[in-house]
Amino acid sequence: MNEKIEIIIRPLAFILLATILCGIIFEIAGFSAILMFNSILDGAFLGSRSLEKSLRWALPLFITAVGVGISFRCGFFNIGAQGQFYMGSVCAVYVTEYMSGVNAVIVIPLGMIAGMTGGALWSLWPGYLKIRYGVDEVITTLMSNFIAGLILVYVTSGPLKDQSGSGQQASTKILPSELRISDASGVSLTIILITIGVGITGWLLVNRTSFGTLSSLAGRNPTMLKYQGGKIWQLGLASFIISGMLAGLSGSIELFGPSGRVVSGFLPTHGFTAILVALVASYAVIGTAFSALFFGGLFSAALFLPIFTGLPTSAIDLFNAIIALLITARITLGTNFLRNRWSHPHD
Amino acid sequence: MTEVRKDIPAISCRDVSVSFGEVSALSDISIDLPLGGIHAVVGQNGAGKTTFARVVAGIVKPDSGSLLINGKKIVLGNVASSRSTGIELVHQSFALPPSFTVAEALEYGSGGGVGFFKKGDLNNRWRRHLEALEMDIDPRHLIQDLPIELQQAVEIARALSSNANILILDEPTAVLSPSGIAGLFKRLRRLRDTGVTIVLVLHKIREIWEIADSITVLRKGKLIDGPMELGRTKPESLTPMIMGAKDFKENISRISDENSDNKVLDQKSISTLPKNKKHALEIDGVSTETTDHEVSLENMSIKVYQDEIVGLADVEGNGQVTLLRVLAGLSDISKGKIKICGQEATHLNLSKRRLLGLRIIPFDRNMEGLSLTSELWENWVASELAVTPLIRWINPMKIKERCKISMSEWDVAYNSPEQKASDLSGGNCQKLILSRELNDEAGMIVAAQPTRGLDIGATNFVWTTLENARSRGCGVLLLSSDLDELFKISDRILVMLSGSIIRELNPPYDLEKAGRAMVGESG
Repeated sequence: MNEKIEIIIRPLAFILLATILCGIIFEIAGFSAILMFNSILDGAFLGSRSLEKSLRWALPLFITAVGVGISFRCGFFNIGAQGQFYMGSVCAVYVTEYMSGVNAVIVIPLGMIAGMTGGALWSLWPGYLKIRYGVDEVITTLMSNFIAGLILVYVTSGPLKDQSGSGQQASTKILPSELRISDASGVSLTIILITIGVGITGWLLVNRTSFGTLSSLAGRNPTMLKYQGGKIWQLGLASFIISGMLAGLSGSIELFGPSGRVVSGFLPTHGFTAILVALVASYAVIGTAFSALFFGGLFSAALFLPIFTGLPTSAIDLFNAIIALLITARITLGTNFLRNRWSHPHD
Repeated sequence: MTEVRKDIPAISCRDVSVSFGEVSALSDISIDLPLGGIHAVVGQNGAGKTTFARVVAGIVKPDSGSLLINGKKIVLGNVASSRSTGIELVHQSFALPPSFTVAEALEYGSGGGVGFFKKGDLNNRWRRHLEALEMDIDPRHLIQDLPIELQQAVEIARALSSNANILILDEPTAVLSPSGIAGLFKRLRRLRDTGVTIVLVLHKIREIWEIADSITVLRKGKLIDGPMELGRTKPESLTPMIMGAKDFKENISRISDENSDNKVLDQKSISTLPKNKKHALEIDGVSTETTDHEVSLENMSIKVYQDEIVGLADVEGNGQVTLLRVLAGLSDISKGKIKICGQEATHLNLSKRRLLGLRIIPFDRNMEGLSLTSELWENWVASELAVTPLIRWINPMKIKERCKISMSEWDVAYNSPEQKASDLSGGNCQKLILSRELNDEAGMIVAAQPTRGLDIGATNFVWTTLENARSRGCGVLLLSSDLDELFKISDRILVMLSGSIIRELNPPYDLEKAGRAMVGESG
């Protein structure tokens, strides 16, 4: 049947199936599944100000996930978004450090550009190794996350350590309020506008440029594109750079926005969740918006779970893990199953 | 083998209909195929041959109808049910795991493979099985190291490892060289003589005549006639049945000479090439480094004039693939020069060579020619986008409109520019590739096996297209292992052996002489 409808229904089917499977596991573990889902729904979308709290996580997830989607679409499984996110925040914080006292109108955009550059460079070296020497990008980008994590530890506990801090977690100094683009809620007009800007740019890039069409072809059949004179290496490097840029932008927004500083090991699952967000949306930009909202909601609900249900926050990890499993299974089973059902309505 | 009775048909289907979405693949087919013998099911691409084979094998569930195997009614659309009655299908493309040894693949493919086993026992058991089928294959070899005809033989051996008494082969000759086809037919005849009923999905008339005992003709999902005993029909009457009267008139001249017994096909008088013509392609003393997986080229020189079709005859595995990769800029050359339309192109990448006018129709249209999971318009516009800057605005709506116009000019049967390329039949896939490659800027066309697996109608279409390109002033290099095809449209034929050109043949062509040249004998 219609591909476009399939793109919408498929993620919904995943989420529904994951909910059912989770419910069964919760019940077996002795928790009320109904109560559990009620509080997730409340915590994520229905409760007072819960939508705003969900957006706090959904907005950066969307930005990073658009980049991840562009890279995956091109056939490069860049799973280094977490590290690129960290490098983005580190580069941005150095800009604020060296330009302290300069007008915020200059510092904030420069910081974001630095963040994007940092993310892009951090994505570029695994990309180069992949394209020049054929090194598996899954391994290099995964490893690059750990290196970036350690660089973050170094920066926050070394050169830029906030000496006045309580010392619980190493971090940089909190930014002065004029350098902040949102308060701790993480939702402000600036951040929403940036996110919309990323969404529109990403959509145009995917749907209205030669890069979008060629990268989709490269992801589906690079051999065919080679016989058309296509330069896979250009597409690959570009998609690595773009995904790194967007993850880095997320990192700098986190600094100027909700966190207000760079903390050792902050948002440790951001990049990985962004991969799930992109996969559930099948790399479509509009779908990514909804999927980011869903995962943002889950994340925000997770913080309330222990209060209302006695379940640990990691219950949400179970949810994420089941969705990841379903996505993996889909590649061989799900699509064929759905497609056959739809193309043979008489069965 | 299960018990069988002579008077009951091996396969008997009644009023079987299959539709995929809105397309009807089979409508009310009723066929009785008698026990024993080799039964050819023939028709053009999209006639429903493969669907018929899949219905019998239980892979496709028909919308209506019933199916009796050896007189027993079977559950429709159930592979296990079809197999339990002794039916085995040998697929168009093989599904053997390439990294397995022959013995492992056979064990795994015949439903074993769980639990412990001794390698020696496994090899011995399957060696006996292969010997019983008179197949000279070492069970310890890896599947990926076998030439394609032996892979197919293993697939047949796999199918026969159970108590199969009905063997269905879907286009088994499409992937084989002429000698491979001869080997396959010998094998099939031997199987027939042991009592196996064989159903062959085929479309080359010459092959049908060589092997089949009965013929069943399908056209556009309908049964036209059959099964007819071979003695009761003639090639001349078969072709109109396959093609339909309208197509037949258009193509009659070609078909009649295709089926003539005259081995010397001298339709073309020796072409009088004006020698002041420019070269479309000059390959001058090109060699490549020896690698493990490619035959290297040795000091190869080929010149193709504008408005000339040069055939390159080659039993597969003598360097065709390397030559194509060299021309596509995908393999490096160690010495020699390449010029395209008079311009130096030795060190240019493919997108630059395309701008000089080079067009390539690759060997494997499904893997190298198209991205099957991508939309039709994306496949169509790929070459245009690939040679432009990386990020450039495009308007998909306008591209789709242009794609639609081109699809109708090239007579591609399709539903929408947004459908997946995998929805197209083989012939339409090739037309899509032609429509993309053969635009006005094309100056030199390299066509590799452009009609492999295509039916008569689509084959003629491709030939006419290449001839039209020639008359427009294009050079054409036709890489083929099908001598009929080479004789039909080439102005001259170069014979390639082990990476070198060893002979040039000029019309009138002599089949025997060419055949001898292709295996390296003089004369």
